[in-house]
Amino acid sequence: MSTHTTQVNIRLEYVKTIGLTTNNTGRGFVNPYDTAVSQDGRIFVLNHSDSARRAMMRVGICSWDEEYLGEFGKGAGTGDDQFNSPVAMAFDSQDRLYITDELHHRITIFDSSGNFLNKWNASGSGPGEFNGPAGIAIDGQDHVYVADQHNSRIQKFNADGSFITQWGEAGSGRGQFNLPWGVAVDSQGDVYVADWRNDRIQKFSPDGDYKASFGEPGEGDGQFYRPSGVAVDPEGYVYVADWGNERVQVMAPDGSFQLNLRGQATLSKWAEDFMAVNPDEHRTREMANLIPNLPPHLNTPHHISSQTEPYFWGPVSVTLDREGRLYVTEANRHRIQVYQKK
Amino acid sequence: MPNNGKKRALVVLQLIGANDPLNTVVPYSDGLYYDNRPTVGIPADQVLPIDDNFGFNPNMGPIKSLWDKGKVAVINGIGYSNPNRSHFRSMDIWHTAETDKIATEGWLGRAIRDLDPTGDNVLTGVNFGRGLPRSLGCRGVPVASVGNLETYGLFPDVEDDLKKQYTLEAFAQMYGASQGWDPVIDSLGQTGRDALKGADILRTAPAQYSSTIEYGPSPIAQSMKNICQVMFADIGTQIFYASYGSFDTHGDELAVHGKLWQDVGGAIGDCYADLEEHGWQDDALIFVWTEFGRRIKDNGSGTDHGAGGLALLIGGSVNGGMYGQYPSLKEAEQLDGDMRANNDYRSTYATIVERWMGLDAPSIVNGQFEQFDFIEK
Amino acid sequence: MSNPDIELMAHLMRRAGFGATRDELEEWVAKGYEAVVEELLYPTDPQNLPDDIIRRYHTEQAELRLADGAAGYWMYRMITTRCPLEEKLALFWHGLLATAYNKLNQAMALLNQIDTFRRHGLGSFSNLLVEVSKDPAMIIWLDNHDNHKDAINENYGRELLELFSMGIGNYTEQDVKECARAFTGWTLGNVEYMAMRASRDSIWPYSRIAWHFEYRDYDHDDGEKTFLGETGRFNGEDIVAIIARQESTAQFVSARLFQFFAADEVDEDGEKVIEEMVRSYFDSGQEIRSILRTLFNSEYFKSEKVRFARVKGPVELVVGAVRLAGSYRTPTQGIEQVARQALYMGQGLLQPPSVEGWHEGIEWVDSGALVERVNFVAHEMANVRNPGVRRIIERLAAENGGVLSPEALVDHCLELLGPMVVSDDTRSALVRYAAHEGELVLTGHQPEDESEQRVGELLRLATATREFQLA
Repeated sequence: MSTHTTQVNIRLEYVKTIGLTTNNTGRGFVNPYDTAVSQDGRIFVLNHSDSARRAMMRVGICSWDEEYLGEFGKGAGTGDDQFNSPVAMAFDSQDRLYITDELHHRITIFDSSGNFLNKWNASGSGPGEFNGPAGIAIDGQDHVYVADQHNSRIQKFNADGSFITQWGEAGSGRGQFNLPWGVAVDSQGDVYVADWRNDRIQKFSPDGDYKASFGEPGEGDGQFYRPSGVAVDPEGYVYVADWGNERVQVMAPDGSFQLNLRGQATLSKWAEDFMAVNPDEHRTREMANLIPNLPPHLNTPHHISSQTEPYFWGPVSVTLDREGRLYVTEANRHRIQVYQKK
Repeated sequence: MPNNGKKRALVVLQLIGANDPLNTVVPYSDGLYYDNRPTVGIPADQVLPIDDNFGFNPNMGPIKSLWDKGKVAVINGIGYSNPNRSHFRSMDIWHTAETDKIATEGWLGRAIRDLDPTGDNVLTGVNFGRGLPRSLGCRGVPVASVGNLETYGLFPDVEDDLKKQYTLEAFAQMYGASQGWDPVIDSLGQTGRDALKGADILRTAPAQYSSTIEYGPSPIAQSMKNICQVMFADIGTQIFYASYGSFDTHGDELAVHGKLWQDVGGAIGDCYADLEEHGWQDDALIFVWTEFGRRIKDNGSGTDHGAGGLALLIGGSVNGGMYGQYPSLKEAEQLDGDMRANNDYRSTYATIVERWMGLDAPSIVNGQFEQFDFIEK
Repeated sequence: MSNPDIELMAHLMRRAGFGATRDELEEWVAKGYEAVVEELLYPTDPQNLPDDIIRRYHTEQAELRLADGAAGYWMYRMITTRCPLEEKLALFWHGLLATAYNKLNQAMALLNQIDTFRRHGLGSFSNLLVEVSKDPAMIIWLDNHDNHKDAINENYGRELLELFSMGIGNYTEQDVKECARAFTGWTLGNVEYMAMRASRDSIWPYSRIAWHFEYRDYDHDDGEKTFLGETGRFNGEDIVAIIARQESTAQFVSARLFQFFAADEVDEDGEKVIEEMVRSYFDSGQEIRSILRTLFNSEYFKSEKVRFARVKGPVELVVGAVRLAGSYRTPTQGIEQVARQALYMGQGLLQPPSVEGWHEGIEWVDSGALVERVNFVAHEMANVRNPGVRRIIERLAAENGGVLSPEALVDHCLELLGPMVVSDDTRSALVRYAAHEGELVLTGHQPEDESEQRVGELLRLATATREFQLA
């Protein structure tokens, strides 16, 4: 990791916020954990939900213009279209959607209309078995990489589920992991892992050979606290969902720090619908300073974000689409903040 | 007052989350309804008409049938002044019959106390669900909360019959008669013996029950069935409590609300048929309430918290009809975008307490409130 | 079999904490009673289940949208802490400075209040009262945000005197008014929006927004005030300083701490201890820590007559059982159900029925609550997979080569569960139960086999006793 000031060649411009809290089915999100964009540009959002709303685990779909297109998935349960703790998802080249569930220990595959296609459902520590599958990424050849968190490893499969290879073990050294979470693949096929409790991103070749490590524990530039998600753009810039610091960081391909995002959410279209019908809330909201000064004892990122609505809170994952747009999925705010790379 | 020896039963059904009155009893002839509800308005040809102006939600078939027989009273515009739109707070206001300050005694708890002042029957009031709803809470008044009637009681985990017997025998011995040297130990002993006795009695109810009625699968239908089982077992229970939800339809209202009323309507229909089959329909009163109503305008997917709401009374001894005023949707008459309540909920409580249960209303509902005529003399 | 040091330490841990396993008791006893009291009074490293782990696996505890998640979080703290007095004292303050979710609809503000109790609950009482006066949850709860220079709202001013310090009879109505005046301007940041959201239980558009204190000087009545005979342009801190100096305050705090930590009922000897506690209050500069030190080290507290002189509150019972059983030490689905059980038993964390808190003592146990209490503990203790239960089985298997007569089985279990002191009737009922299947042979026991199940069954009964309801 470089420590001297490097040139910052990237700019991210805030575009808008998509989403709204909901406690029902239908329009809105329920603790979204991941976002994926289909080839026709539909935005798929994985609703992780919480213990009080287990019936709401599902995938919601909306258009770029925020028309709610529908949803699939029927909440908590063991059925093919049900979940226990869904964590992440990715599309392959055929627009099939792969969703991990860390308590069912399975990967479920749907088509982009939400029809169940297949599942890989084995728990254990052998090849092809899972113990808490979390992040997932799929490369251009439809190789599927899964962060198998309690087995401290990455597993690699073909799209048909056949096992290719695995690497990793518990620890804090090179090629070792501590509850790894998000996974990403770059245009060269290299694999990036958000090594959550080691507070770093590790980079590997497609065969699992260690290549580099970015980050160290902390809240400064280029430091992470429990990074949960990672994405890489075609030029090799690395976007990190720095979950514990409630922010997103961008690194250049050489690992040097580029910029931090704290979040700057505005009212989404659905949020404006709500305000239109609830004028008293709207009126008092207009009077409020949504970025207030806080007393010194409320100084952790978690506290600050809990009081500062525009800031990221629970930014679990970062997703890039083909237009260079960055989607930051916030589990605690039920929304996605979108930035455009310039 | 009852003249056949039966003690009158009150079945209280709480709709949790604030049921939407406008989509329960629909003012289908009022253009303002459709103007305000482009997304969740129910088409006029779908409602179950009561008259030329109002109709029930299409999923309330069984309740409509009972309405046609004159067994359903609808209290429109029910609420209280200075409406509170927070679920918990408003529920507490309803539970404790107190609008101005936080109170801890529930109106039904007081009613149980007055029905059984010496506390002879620990089963005078039974809640069908876990955790004691505040309506039933009152210092010194024991109430059983029955999550599952078939397995209710001590040590439900013990499945082997012989082991269960030995375990309960041991319990009875351990909580045996007073030793007299420690009031706390003695009190615990009495409580333990009461708990054993109560559980033993309650468990006989399903065994004694026989009926041709097939209840639906929803949890509320099962609760209503349990209520009937306990009622027909005639063990002295007079106040029965159940709740269902969530009616908090901020989103996807048409689908969610419709399904909820399918469940509740079906459960009430099944329950009433069961009451009739066992000759209890004139001695049972079902009271359906919720903590407030919902906004007149929809939010594009559902509705948000409102004020004036709706309550139902169903039973063989009910004077069916519409009571209270159906609140106006005209903007000038709204309360911050909500329907204005025009009768205090404690009027309904007072009517139930005095005319149904034969108790002193003012001490139970914290004041004098004008009563309705929805109970037949 | 009885060991007075173990029994005394068990008593201390039941009161200053949530009980202790036999392993823990042996560790504590090795340090010596007074040293343990000091360790409890200076909590440094609780080593509880870490926040990052909790938030990754419990979204509801990361977002804290509802009371359930918050109650689950506090449960984890109470269950996994190595500084039990810190949590027990927070529970005490929560029952005294009772603030409830249902009016606030803001769970994080409540958890922040509980954290204030952790940070300041052992220090000076006047400092705690100042922090509480600034606590956003308390401000909304007692309407101090409606307390303005030109429109006084007396709610907080009154309860501060009546319920949080001196008690009725020690101040006048005029004092209440002056007190309220001093707290004008003590409000929340963005209070109009926050109060609106609280009253509507709003989670829109993007979930809850937590609260922080804000002092609005322009809304503060800084005129001269006369309070409890003293005059000055008092602000809130000044009022608190005056309150904290009063004999009635010292008496109030000491008596409440006594009833929570020593005995439900105060007898003549108890009155004397309270007097000593009052003296400690003044000698130490109003330090809660000193009051508790005086209490825990008193002969009265250590005496036999105070053993089992309290009825366990539901939270105490639930947490105690879980700690004994060794369950819920890692992220476990259903932790909020554990908090719900305490709610069903009559004590919902973060949901006291009113600002008066809960009625303690024998009132905790009516027939409905008793069924819930017995069933919950039975469920945890009969589960031979629970680590704490396995530890008990191991210890039993080490006695007499693992061969135990019914009497020995009962006596050892009672020892390991407490040590519990039970009446002859209770003991003979337990022995009779154990004797149904005769001698127990634990030698060579395998996980979950019949011999282990018999231990679980006896533990189930032993913790169903009326004696187990007492601390």
